[in-house]
Amino acid sequence: MLMEDLSEGGCLVVSLKEKRLDAVIAASFREAMVARIDQGQRNIVLDMSQVSFMDSSGLGAVVYVLKHLGHTGRLHICGVTPGVMAVLKLTRMDRVFKTFDSRQAAIAA
Amino acid sequence: MNSDSPLHLVVPATLLDARVATERIVGLCDRFNTEDRADYATAVMEWLVNVVKHSYAHASGAQIRICAVTGPEAIELTIEDSGQGMPPWKFDAAPSELDFDATDITRLPESGMGLAIIKSVMDSVRYHSTSGVNRLTAVRRWQR
Repeated sequence: MLMEDLSEGGCLVVSLKEKRLDAVIAASFREAMVARIDQGQRNIVLDMSQVSFMDSSGLGAVVYVLKHLGHTGRLHICGVTPGVMAVLKLTRMDRVFKTFDSRQAAIAA
Repeated sequence: MNSDSPLHLVVPATLLDARVATERIVGLCDRFNTEDRADYATAVMEWLVNVVKHSYAHASGAQIRICAVTGPEAIELTIEDSGQGMPPWKFDAAPSELDFDATDITRLPESGMGLAIIKSVMDSVRYHSTSGVNRLTAVRRWQR
């Protein structure tokens, strides 16, 4: 699984360089994100602009990351594609996650 | 319905093959708009992953049999497996819409969302488990 980290504006921007966040890679994605949080990252922007498909396993991993951050951290998502928005809406998780059109907007929020 | 040639697939019950099978099935769905196509892809993947993880519990050598038939109005999908399946009452009892408190992150669901997705995306869906064969039949119209 390919991820790219960039520190910008006090945030860790994590770009997921995969076309799909699904059951195949959900566990490794979750572990990689938890490792970043456990290393002290509290403000995370997840750039999903290259992810065209997400299933409920992938979404469950993102929810796990949000829970692991807890109330003292922040997880914003940017670059949400139609395939990712589909599962957010189907599960009503679009009420939970703060999504932004651009990386800059997510960092500034 | 006046149907196109059906797509028949027999695929190994693995997560990677579930991914490939989903893409093959969704390849038939050019009559959906972008949003409906994304919804449909999610629902198909949900059931195939359910079969791999729960019905077969990642057993090696297991197979999933798929038939997809497109017609002028809809696509009908049948997915069969010979794993342990799930009790039909459990399938029937699953809600078609998730209900949770979006403000309480400690209680957000991390799993168990697949059946709700399938039920909300498909126009009709039936699940039977008989004589060791578990069969999901789902119909989705091109336009709602």
